[in-house]
Amino acid sequence: MSQRGISTIPAILLAAVAGLFTALLLMDWVVVDITTADTGHLVVPCPLMVPRVAAAFIPDDAFEDAVVPAELREQREAVLTAVQALLDAPDATLVRVNDPETRVEITKRGHLLEIAVDSDDAVVRCTVPIDGVYEALEEWDWEHVDPELVFDILDRAPGGTLVSVKADDADVDIRVW
Amino acid sequence: MSHTTTIRSAVRAVALRQIPAALAVIVLVAGLAGPAAAEEPTRWLNVNVTEPGTETNVEVHLPLSLVISVLDGINVEGFEAGKIDLELEDADIDWPVVIAAVAEAPDGEFVRAKTQDADVSIVKREDMIYVDVTEHEGDEAVVKVTLPVTLLSSLNIDNENKVDVKALLASIDTLPDGELVRVSSNDANVRIWVE
Repeated sequence: MSQRGISTIPAILLAAVAGLFTALLLMDWVVVDITTADTGHLVVPCPLMVPRVAAAFIPDDAFEDAVVPAELREQREAVLTAVQALLDAPDATLVRVNDPETRVEITKRGHLLEIAVDSDDAVVRCTVPIDGVYEALEEWDWEHVDPELVFDILDRAPGGTLVSVKADDADVDIRVW
Repeated sequence: MSHTTTIRSAVRAVALRQIPAALAVIVLVAGLAGPAAAEEPTRWLNVNVTEPGTETNVEVHLPLSLVISVLDGINVEGFEAGKIDLELEDADIDWPVVIAAVAEAPDGEFVRAKTQDADVSIVKREDMIYVDVTEHEGDEAVVKVTLPVTLLSSLNIDNENKVDVKALLASIDTLPDGELVRVSSNDANVRIWVE
């Protein structure tokens, strides 16, 4: 009996650890990859759940003063309608700006808005899930600044690089997988 | 067999008999509505601004439906709630009468003005209205506006001399492809067209 008891505990622990790893693997992860000339290469992988849980512990009064202006609140329906119209629009390059120093392109592809900025000192690529923005804005109370908004958008982001900044002094990639 | 059972059996029999018919109707409606919805083309509003001085070129290509929905949210001086203020405080103009008169008038040149500041010409020809303004001073801008006469019916200017741009844009949706506005000046060239 005692031998059985000893073998059961490691088995339970192993199952718990395996379950934890499986859960972690199934979670969405966000990876922040920073390379600078000074600090070298830094990679911070983090399950998306962690900052969400951490944000839940932020005291309510921390955002007490961060109230959304009434003028913005009144635009809720207009903003949602605009985002929905963008979502419904066919794929196309919506905005293109060229000058001798900068090139900007905003392209709608599927449910994604791709923003590309090429300037003399930085190259920026950003992918925004329009459907994620719509759902996050729809669920938001439009009264208080809420970090959940960002997590809701990240939740709906496709796997891959969301933001990539390549500047003279640093490269930053934010990936979701 | 009781009355209730008989009624239930009858309802079930009718319902079962109706299912194929209902499915057929759904398939037929979907078949008709599908291509119709797919064929409805998206209308695009295009704006092209070039600044020769700074070698800057801006191209905006937006679905008309998106522009119309965004208009409500723009509130800046002179443009609020989808209306642009013509800033004609002193002018007492009966716009509906003027617009109706222009729409019904025969082809011809309505206005030709030559001043030191600018030449202005407004011509109606083949269901189109052409407004040409050539500035002689300042930016020496050349403004060319092309408006289909049918658009006049949607041109709503209220008592406060505010143009309902939203209604106007909504009616552009029904227009054929073509250029609406072209402005050329020393500083910048602007072209607005719908497709």
